[in-house]
Amino acid sequence: MRNRFIDLLAILAMVLAFSAVTFAQTYGTKGYSPGAWKPEELPKDLSKPKPYNSHDFAGVWSSPTKAGYFERHALNDKWLDIKDKSIPDQMRSQTYPPPMTEWAKAKFEATKPSYGPRSVPPGLGNDDVSTCDPMGYPRDLYEANLRPFEIVQASDRVLIHMQYHDIWRTIWTDGRGLPKDADLAWMGYSVGKWDGDTFVIMSTGYDDRTWLDHFGNPHSDQMVLVERWRHPDADTLTLDMTITDPKAYTAPWVGETVTFVRAKAAIFEELCVPSEEEHFNDKIRDAAVGTAKP
Amino acid sequence: MKFKSAACLALILAFALAGVPLLAHHGTGVAYDTEKTVTLKGTVTEWIWANPHCGILFDVTDDKGNVEHWGAELGNPHALSMSGLSKDILKPGDKITISGHLAKSGAPRIVLREFTTADGRTLPEKGHKGNGALLTDEPGQ
Repeated sequence: MRNRFIDLLAILAMVLAFSAVTFAQTYGTKGYSPGAWKPEELPKDLSKPKPYNSHDFAGVWSSPTKAGYFERHALNDKWLDIKDKSIPDQMRSQTYPPPMTEWAKAKFEATKPSYGPRSVPPGLGNDDVSTCDPMGYPRDLYEANLRPFEIVQASDRVLIHMQYHDIWRTIWTDGRGLPKDADLAWMGYSVGKWDGDTFVIMSTGYDDRTWLDHFGNPHSDQMVLVERWRHPDADTLTLDMTITDPKAYTAPWVGETVTFVRAKAAIFEELCVPSEEEHFNDKIRDAAVGTAKP
Repeated sequence: MKFKSAACLALILAFALAGVPLLAHHGTGVAYDTEKTVTLKGTVTEWIWANPHCGILFDVTDDKGNVEHWGAELGNPHALSMSGLSKDILKPGDKITISGHLAKSGAPRIVLREFTTADGRTLPEKGHKGNGALLTDEPGQ
């Protein structure tokens, strides 16, 4: 009986090691970017970790990638309990936004996303991200399971560089308030300040052409985001976000607490190149649904 | 259970895990039938290594000499780089054996599970899905 138990442990260890080896050799190497510098080309003595400081968010962060992690596509989405494995995973997630206004319902019903119960093949959809329009925020944040972001803290601003689509957010910390009458921007306008150990970011001025998430949930140009970021230990960030958008939703949309972990890899260039995406769409994605010649 | 049998079982389990159908990205699971897998032998005509999607275009010739133009959808270069692929892994003229899930429309398009090169290398490497992501990155589990 004891020998059988040890054999089973050996099996489990071998199976886990088999899949973990590739991960450790690449993603676990600090400063490593696939296709750029090889690990052996990096300085041997990369900077040692700094002492923990709850106000120092600098570094590269990603959503956890261990088994059991819930791949987020929206502020509060849940996996539907669908047992039928033939249902694509893209259709098994669902958002739970507050009730929409009539304005938002019309916008929502016009969307053809590729995620959720309403999903269609990307070649038949109208998600403008498929033609390299900006993802906007907070939608780009939901890519953090595979595409990390980097936080840089300067004296008068915090910069967040998001790998997917190579987007930068500027959060001004010089005491200014939100602009009162600015032109709309794809990534909006953000200001931040400390509330004890919580970094509070307020943002507005978002171009309403972006979707709030992968499901096609809309937002208006009156949307205000409030983010509360905390750094509870050396390798963890947490985020609580509330979206207030009375033109689109009848109540604030309060998100669940999201956790990010320190990533041991450098940000990788991941532009969305319109000419390359057009070529891919023409040769693969649109051909797959019959709207382009194979 | 003897250790030799246990080791064999471990290898079987490891390869079985590597064969788990990919959980697609960017809505590809909606366009492709994950219940239908095809395996084809073809000649590469183009290797698309681009952001945010990679792809393989290849020609398949039947026994009558008719050529059909096929294409395979892959994930992004970042994930694929972590599973053994690179911008130089394929070039026009390369012979491959390639398998994937067929487009629901019936068009000659698949979303990749794996391909094997003429020198016997199978990619993505074991432990990764067809889009390069780790098999342990299963959402919702």
